Amino acid sequence: MRKKLLWSLLASCLFFGTAMAQNSTVNGRVTDEKGDPIVGASIQVKGTKVGTTSNNDGVFTIKAANGASLTVQAIGFETKTVAAAANLNVKLVTDVRALSEVVVTGFGGSLIKKELTGNIARVKGKDIEFMPTASVDAALQGRAAGVFVNSQSGKLGQAVTVRIRGNSSISASSQPLYVLDGIPITSQDQSTYGGDMNPLTDLNPNDIESIDVLKDASAGAIYGSRAANGVVLITTKRGRAGKTQITFNLQSGQSEATKRVRMLNSTEYNELALEAAKYSDDQEDIPYDDPYSYTQYMKDIMSYHSYGQWDKDKAKSYDWQDQAFQTGQYRQADLQIRGGNDKTKFFSSFQHLDQGGTIRSNELSRTTGRLNVDQKANDWLDLGVSLSLSRIYNRRLPGDNAFSNPLQAAALLPMSPFTDPNTGLPTGTPPGDVNVGIYFNPQIQIDYAKYTQDVYRTFGNTYFKAKLLPGLTFQSEFGLDFLSQNEERYYQTQAVRNTSSPRGEGVNTGAFITNYNTNSYFTYNKLTAKHNFAATLGMQYQQSQAKYNSTTGTDFPSNSYQKIASAATKAGGSSSQSDFRFLSYFLRSNYTYDDKYIISASGRMDQSSRFGKNSRTGFFPAVSAGWILSNEKFLSSNKYLSFLKLRASYGLVGNSEIGNFPQMGLFTGDAGYAGNAGQRPSQLRNDDLRWETTSQVDVGIDFGLFNNRISGEIDYYVKSTDGLLLNVNIPATTGFSSMVKNIGKLENKGYEFVLNTQNLVGAFKWTTNFNVALNQGKVTDIQGQVIEGGVGSMNRVQEGYAIGVYYTAEWAGVDPANGNALWYKNTKNADGTIDRSTTSIFNQATRVVTGNPNPDVILGLTNSFSYKGFDMSIFFNGVLGNENNIYGMGRYSSASMRYEDNQTYDQMARWQKPGDITDIPQARLFYNNGAQISSRYIVDGSYIRLRTASIGYTFDSKKLSKFKLEKLRVYVSGQNLLTFTKYPYWDPEVNADDFDSNIAKGNDFYTPPQPRTILFGVNINF
Amino acid sequence: MKIYNKTINKYLIAILFTSVLATACEKRLDVFPTSSISDSKALLSEGDVLVTLIGTYDGAQAATVYGGDIMVLNELIGNGENINFTGTFAGLSDAFKAQMTTNNGNATGTWGSSYSTINRANNVLSALDKVTSSATKKSSVEGEALFLRGSLYFELVKLFAKPVGDGDYAANPGVPLVLTPTGNVSEADYKARATVKAVYDQVIADLTRAESLLPSSNGIYATKWSAAAQLSRVHLMLKNYAEAGAAANRVITGSGKSLAVDIDKNWFTYIYNGGTTPGEYLFSMKMTPQDGTNALNTYFGRTISGISGSAGRSDCKIKAAHFTQYETGDKRKDFFVLSGGNYYTKKHLDRFGDVPVVRLSEMYLTRAEANVRSNTSVGATPLADVNAIRTRAGLPALTSITLAAVLKERKVELAFEGQGLPDAKRLQNNVGLLAWNAPNLIMPIPQREMDVNKKLVQNAGY
Repeated sequence: MRKKLLWSLLASCLFFGTAMAQNSTVNGRVTDEKGDPIVGASIQVKGTKVGTTSNNDGVFTIKAANGASLTVQAIGFETKTVAAAANLNVKLVTDVRALSEVVVTGFGGSLIKKELTGNIARVKGKDIEFMPTASVDAALQGRAAGVFVNSQSGKLGQAVTVRIRGNSSISASSQPLYVLDGIPITSQDQSTYGGDMNPLTDLNPNDIESIDVLKDASAGAIYGSRAANGVVLITTKRGRAGKTQITFNLQSGQSEATKRVRMLNSTEYNELALEAAKYSDDQEDIPYDDPYSYTQYMKDIMSYHSYGQWDKDKAKSYDWQDQAFQTGQYRQADLQIRGGNDKTKFFSSFQHLDQGGTIRSNELSRTTGRLNVDQKANDWLDLGVSLSLSRIYNRRLPGDNAFSNPLQAAALLPMSPFTDPNTGLPTGTPPGDVNVGIYFNPQIQIDYAKYTQDVYRTFGNTYFKAKLLPGLTFQSEFGLDFLSQNEERYYQTQAVRNTSSPRGEGVNTGAFITNYNTNSYFTYNKLTAKHNFAATLGMQYQQSQAKYNSTTGTDFPSNSYQKIASAATKAGGSSSQSDFRFLSYFLRSNYTYDDKYIISASGRMDQSSRFGKNSRTGFFPAVSAGWILSNEKFLSSNKYLSFLKLRASYGLVGNSEIGNFPQMGLFTGDAGYAGNAGQRPSQLRNDDLRWETTSQVDVGIDFGLFNNRISGEIDYYVKSTDGLLLNVNIPATTGFSSMVKNIGKLENKGYEFVLNTQNLVGAFKWTTNFNVALNQGKVTDIQGQVIEGGVGSMNRVQEGYAIGVYYTAEWAGVDPANGNALWYKNTKNADGTIDRSTTSIFNQATRVVTGNPNPDVILGLTNSFSYKGFDMSIFFNGVLGNENNIYGMGRYSSASMRYEDNQTYDQMARWQKPGDITDIPQARLFYNNGAQISSRYIVDGSYIRLRTASIGYTFDSKKLSKFKLEKLRVYVSGQNLLTFTKYPYWDPEVNADDFDSNIAKGNDFYTPPQPRTILFGVNINF
Repeated sequence: MKIYNKTINKYLIAILFTSVLATACEKRLDVFPTSSISDSKALLSEGDVLVTLIGTYDGAQAATVYGGDIMVLNELIGNGENINFTGTFAGLSDAFKAQMTTNNGNATGTWGSSYSTINRANNVLSALDKVTSSATKKSSVEGEALFLRGSLYFELVKLFAKPVGDGDYAANPGVPLVLTPTGNVSEADYKARATVKAVYDQVIADLTRAESLLPSSNGIYATKWSAAAQLSRVHLMLKNYAEAGAAANRVITGSGKSLAVDIDKNWFTYIYNGGTTPGEYLFSMKMTPQDGTNALNTYFGRTISGISGSAGRSDCKIKAAHFTQYETGDKRKDFFVLSGGNYYTKKHLDRFGDVPVVRLSEMYLTRAEANVRSNTSVGATPLADVNAIRTRAGLPALTSITLAAVLKERKVELAFEGQGLPDAKRLQNNVGLLAWNAPNLIMPIPQREMDVNKKLVQNAGY
């Protein structure tokens, strides 16, 4: 992409560089700081139109008058002016100023940020390289304004929520489209158990040259019906002409869970439980010593679940939560080789990662290799291939809402010992009493069951690019993305209480996704003194086919047999297939006049197999314009203001991620009964179904001050989505609960602010990158639909509010007189006012909006320092103004002994006698006193986190040369080192996997917290 | 001109490449699902109708329907007297405490799945003209679909509406009646609740016609006797004792079935009987390791060491008070297992056991009750009917009969099989501390249903 710009520069030089007088010949070479040649740098004799460019070795020849100055320019480097001399060696310094950056626009396009009229945020591969972030989407967190990332949990390889400029759909996916080197890749979950996994883990983040996030409609329209959630263009590293560079990076370290929640110990539990039982006995007039009293029940429970140990020692206590956690080991080795000559250039890499989770039994390993080769066949034809192979092994955890989720051990009684004193095996393991432990002991799952996932992923791409005429090229590329996945679960006989399969249970599933894509397009560039015109015209076709199968077997001869071949009963089996296809034509053009006025227009026509026969084709146009004021006379001499551009864009984009075949009326043949096949009506028909359409207006200012040492962007956008692909609720009396229709509207409005500063530029360098985004989402019309999700169906889509707001009774605390839980009635009075009186009868309280899982503000702040060999980088990210829902665990464990579950420590502050002022109601065994769904369980989820920090030292290259080393850097890096939050449970950055949907966000259900990782690394260049 | 030629060649390549791709792709946008078929192709032949009927059984077998939840709810709601429910499923826990809210998951689940099954039955009934192989086949298909539809409306009206006898059942709201398959959803699909009487009228119409159409034996599927047995329950509920007794009598005399010698033989279908349906069952849902979840097992069952194949969440612990209802020597009193300090019924330990919907011994007790109440001896004397049940349970024969004796026998014989709450309501007995017609013994109309269909009215108390 960069090459093309240079090529047009070259063209301009040739056009205008012929008429001048020439005196003597200058021979020179342009290199970067490291001495590597810079290819295609432009060299111009100052004050003339004489110019040339450097060749593949950085060498150039130019004729210049004696005493003349040469201006040497290359993209990505600061411009330098040197005096002409016979033999010149020009060393250019990398330009770290953001305005000189080049961003990728898709389909072979690229633009200097200065000339951009849309909104594209770029994350450089360098910024995320060698960080303990296993996937590219997680790496975006806090680094691009307006891109909200939530890593959901501390489980390895799990799905990550990414929202670009808010949530723009209710029923269709709100995740962005990921395009890797031109191919839209499979990024949806493929797992069958234990929460969503993340197919982006299959890509080695260290292979990435850059990530460009297309945020506004003018940038995204070229991806048409797939761009409404934003597009993430991932470009991998490619070869460079020059010396072959070999980089070896090794890092090793440890992870720990970031937090524990204080639960009750045996003494505390005993006190609270018996107090709660006493209340319930009193309530029902049962004598405490009655064998069927609550008190006796509770004593029996504590005795039974401690193997009688509690009768002897009431203080003996076991911290079950601690059993869930472990120290995870992290080891990663990377090898990258990069090089080439003027004909052939290559980049290759190899990585092996071994990562132990902070939750016991969780582990992930990744082995990847990549080879990217570019070949210049002749003066008009370039060819290339890239191929990446990877294998991911993930020993996964059960979903959050499973008794076998290790963190659910926190609910077990503190008097339950870890091991059965009779057998020495984990509590609840047969042949001991399997019912000891008030719930299934997750330890048994860890020891006697296994859930593994193997993924084999291939990304391949081949292209050719022909120069047809000066300025006109044709490029065609063919890409493929193969994902093969095998999952195996095996539960030994010991896990019978969880599986109900006393003789073992095994499950084996496969997913095979083949995804082909071709792009073919013409590109035209014409550059004259005042006019710069570029256009792209082309087509794209994508087809994806997913095949799935699964087999379940039970009754194994012994625990030594763990494959389904040995299962006496093949208890279940299934196979299925699903396809989708897209055919698209697109056009994009840019025109710049006199480096001041820029206009750009693009459009895409999309056809898809996913939509109704009456509405198969959609058109997505966009226009944008920019005005570089700083190039106008009245500003060009301003001392402080070095750059100022106003820009605006408007366009339409779509969202078609509603799954395959949503438009068809269907019967499904899965309704067999007792061994006989059956069918059932499964989906209602909608021939008019089409994409959601999002129109977006974006206005922005780009500015640079003090020779662009300070630069920034300010954006305001309004994103309106119409014709939502909605799973519209219909009366269940029809036999269906919902059907997909284009109904409803929503809106996201927001500001984005980016500031990049070079605070110190001398030997001691200090740069700051700051971004902050404010987004307000609002559902404006869903035609009265009630759409709910999440834990306790507390997340709701409500007109006038953001998607997924919590809709609950409003908690009013505890009645000091009697310890009753109270709620605000919030019913409407006859005069239209709201009754704010409180009630202890839950059904009298009306539900109201009590919180929002979507943040108001997201921000990222990076400070980078370097001095001589030292470098340091500190990166904070923050998410503010959102609420989380802790009802998942709260209803059991912060619930005044609603159930026998161990309670969180805050429950000790319960109401005990009249006059007590507290927010914790009286403990009442098996009574609902405040454990109902209310805003009591909606808590502040804001946080600011020291996400990553690294400090490194690079040894002096002169000293290294005798060891044949070019560079040696040692470093320490850390992740999630500090978190500032008021959140009471484990981790405010949470999203319980078993409940996750567009609507259901911010739920915590014994969700494992993020790991805190510290790594030591060494990076060597040969 | 050499350059010119080369350019032309390059153009040709590009143009050819693009046009080939473009034309090749256009046709490829028509793709179809592989595990589903278009609704327009789903009900075209007799085979299509027959598999849709199987689909209707599959719907009824759902855990939320006759897979067991309906029976579980009819035992659990307000039944603190006999059961200590310690499960964590909030829907059931709140039902047990008779503290349901309109978001009760079981209300939503049972309502939705029942209507989904009814829609399947309606699809079958709409395509009967495709069943052309024989008149008996057609009768059977129609009878089975009507049996399932009628049965489910009966269950819905019992769970979600005021019991018969509380106020005017011709005015009280029952549940919406949907009798045709859903095609395109229109305003007509937003139905108000029919009256309790209208629902019962439909149930009687469906079951009566089903009884007349169904064959005497039909494998694991519904028979004439399944319909008659269900009809006896309906009439009992409506206090049409003569009709109830007559229907029960038709089953006893016509079905050729007899009481199992040993009560054990009525249970452990899978563990001990290799999956064979017990002879006494008039209708049951089959459960296999491949298909179905026995919800009675889920909540009443427990993994008992020594009974391989037993399973369950141990949620329903049977209270000591329950055992006071049995006479000494009653084999049914011993049909419980003590484990971990609590008693569990043995009826539902089998994970893959059939879920009985109705069995023969109930017909004896229904006939006896009807005869006692009407002072008749249709089929047999009530004394003989009750003694048939008693002697099977190892109890001495009675010498005289009272209504109380019949009802007592009914209570212990059918314990934890899903007749507890309907019997309490029709006999107007208290449920724990709650009156038989207490509003919180009635399930709420699901909130999602209220939200989406403004024509519905909520039950009192919610």
